[in-house]
Formats: sequence, structure tokens, C-alpha cells
Amino acid sequence: MSAIKNTEITARDAGFISCHFCSTLCKLPKHADLKKVELVCPCCKSNIHLRKPNSINRTWALLIAALILYIPANTLPIMTFTLWGDGQPDTIISGVIHLMDGGMWPLALLIFVASIFIPVLKLIILTMLMISIHLKARWKPKDRTVLYRITEFVGRWSMVDVFVIGILVTLVQFGNSANVTPGLGALSFAAVVILTMFAARAFDPRLIWDVLESETKSGSKKTVSNKDNKQMVKP
Amino acid sequence: MDQSNHTSVNITQIACHDCDLFLQVPQLRVGQSATCPRCNAFLFKNQKNSVDRSLAFAITGLILYVISNMFPLLSLRALGTTQDETLISTSVSLFKADMPLLSIVVLFTTVIFPATTLLGTIFILMQVKMDKFNDYTAPLFRFLRSTDTWGMLEIFMLALLVAMVKLGDVAEVVFGTSLYAFCLLILSLTLLSYSLNPHDVWSKLRNEITQ
Ligand SMILES: [Zn+2]
Repeated sequence: MSAIKNTEITARDAGFISCHFCSTLCKLPKHADLKKVELVCPCCKSNIHLRKPNSINRTWALLIAALILYIPANTLPIMTFTLWGDGQPDTIISGVIHLMDGGMWPLALLIFVASIFIPVLKLIILTMLMISIHLKARWKPKDRTVLYRITEFVGRWSMVDVFVIGILVTLVQFGNSANVTPGLGALSFAAVVILTMFAARAFDPRLIWDVLESETKSGSKKTVSNKDNKQMVKP
Repeated sequence: MDQSNHTSVNITQIACHDCDLFLQVPQLRVGQSATCPRCNAFLFKNQKNSVDRSLAFAITGLILYVISNMFPLLSLRALGTTQDETLISTSVSLFKADMPLLSIVVLFTTVIFPATTLLGTIFILMQVKMDKFNDYTAPLFRFLRSTDTWGMLEIFMLALLVAMVKLGDVAEVVFGTSLYAFCLLILSLTLLSYSLNPHDVWSKLRNEITQ
């Protein structure tokens, strides 16, 4: 095990800036006005920033767009199953209820988790994280970072219902006797999933931790404690 | 971009990407991984033969990807006719059903991004093996890293299972020739993302540039 020296300061306070893509650590040029100069990562040539630029505004914009589209995603039909000219439109919720009525419990649970539980959870977590940033909350930064990682990791699985619709539309094409057509609800739902994925990406988890830094700097008691640090290297 | 904007690189330290904690780069033994002591973020790992293994999985994946696209994955037999499901036919039929935007989303997540991931990863890892880099290596790898979450074949696999169960009640579902190749493709993609170590690739590139 190699011992890790923890400096207990952030890279920004130490005068360094880390590239978002390749995590190359660069020394901040002295007296550089970051608002005027775009710094370029010497390794991967992307523009580097101390924090994701305009993170709060962009996350809010994407999040609010997703919240608005969540309404048509749930009220408009995601697909229509037509049998002998008799059309039966399904929304996300009625689709889950039909699966339960048909006795397909595991499937109903899966679609419920992917299409209702995960998107709602994601919207709630991101909104709460954003509010906590605005309130400059110092409450459990580690747990909030974990919540952020969950939204980032789990969000894409909501696309499963969109793919199911695509597959059904492809397979069930029997002229006038039986076919499946996609509805606008499916498009809205896909947009919600994609927008929340972008919102999670626009959010900068370092903002959760920055509040603790400003406390330290202003001379109040040191909040970046090292006492409950776990060993950095895992076997 | 102005060259004077380039700054000096610090290779003995690293910043946590989730909480910006300033850390010494730990020396890892094979099989170890480093996490941030403050927020527990995964930083990087040291794996044996990471490049060779990833290259093997990527090449296997590419072959399986081609096979998966050649034959149907599933077929539905009803009323005397058969409908086939291939990877590309999903976006084609959505396009025909007046859903061009949805069709584009499905095309990118199930056809284009998986293909660019496999081809790009092979290209980059070949360069890493031969220690020859050019101006396109870094932007290409950046593109691959940022489109990684948008390749959704494993989710498509789950959707195939759901569709199979849903339709199994009303019609005869036939496994397609490509379904087996597709399952193995998902396996190789999973193993690829597990064995690929982006940190190693970036370190090589960084050494190349800063020396
Ligand atoms: Zn951290």
C-alpha cells in the first residue's frame, strides 16, 4: 500500500486546473483573466475550465425542459396497437397496467422501474441538488455526490421502453389485420430521457464541495477534515 | 488557439473530477484502483495487459457487430407471414412510421455509436501499442469518451427480451441467426468497457506531448 499525502486543499486553491476529458493537471497562469482567455489543454486540446462553464444555468434549462416534456410523455399515447382495424392507444402508465392485468408481473415491474421510477427519481434528485447548490447547503456533500453519480449511471436505462416500441413497430406489421404505430408520447419520453442525461452532464458535482472551501477560506473552522478518510488505494 | 495559452503540466498530482481535491498520484500495483479519499470517486486503476485485452475484446466485438447486422435478431410469425427484426430495421420502420426524430435517436444509440466506439477504440489502441500518435488521436479519444454513454446496445438487448415476452403470448417468436452473435457482442462490449483504462491512454498521450 502506498501512502497518500492528502493536501486537504482543492486543485483550484492550489493554483491548478484539471482537464475535464483527460484529467491533465495544468498550472494556472498567473494574472490570467479566465473570463477573457480560453485555456487549452496541452494534452487533448479541449478548452479547460475551473468548473463546467455556466453549469447552473445550463442544468436548470435542460431540467426545466425535461420537466415540461414529462407531461406529454405521460399523457400522450406512446404507441397504438391496432387489431382488425380496432385501435388501442397506450400511455406509459396504461401499458404497465395492461401488463399487470395480463399477469406479466416481472415485465410490469421492469417497465415501471425503467419508465416511471427512474425518470421521476432522476428529475427529483437533480432538482434537489440544484436547490441545495442555490441554498449553499453544507449538508452531507458525500451523500449528495453519490446521488449525483446514481442519476448519471442509471438514467440511460430508461431508454428501454423507447426501444421496445421500436421493436414492436418493426415486428408487428401485418397490413390491416395487426400493426403497431408509435405515438408522440414515445418521442416526448425519449426527449425527457435525453434531456435529463444532458442535464446530469451539465451539472458540476464540484459545486457541491465548493461551499466548504469558501468557509475554510473565510477563516471559520476548517471543514475539509481528513479524519474519516478512507484509504485511497483499494486492492 | 493561441499557443501561449498552453500551461505547464503537473504529472505528480491529480485533481478529483467530482470534488476537485488536490491529490498525489498514487503508485498502484497491478489490480489496484485509486479512489478519492474525500468523495470516494473512482479515479483510475492499474490492470494487467489492459491494452492487449481491450484490443482483443474490441476486435472480437467488431466482428460480432458485423454479424449482428447481417441477419435478423428476432422474427415474428403470424397469419402466414414473417416479420424480421434487425438492428437497422428498427430505425427504418420508425422513420416510415413518421417518427424521424425517434428514428435518428435509435439509429445513433444502437447502430452508429457502437460502431464508432469499436472502430475508434481499435484505432487508438493500435496507436498505443505501436507508440505512434498523430494529431487526431486526442480529439478522437475525447469523442469516444464522451459518446460512451450513448451507445445503448445492452439496453436494446433488454428491450428485445421485453418484446419477446410481450409478443410470445399472441404470436410465434423465432430467434434470429444474429441473436447469438448479438448476445456475445454485448458480452464483449461489457468486457471492453471493464478492461479499457482511459487513464493509461491519456498518460501515454501526455508523455508524448510533454516530453
Ligand atoms: Zn473527490
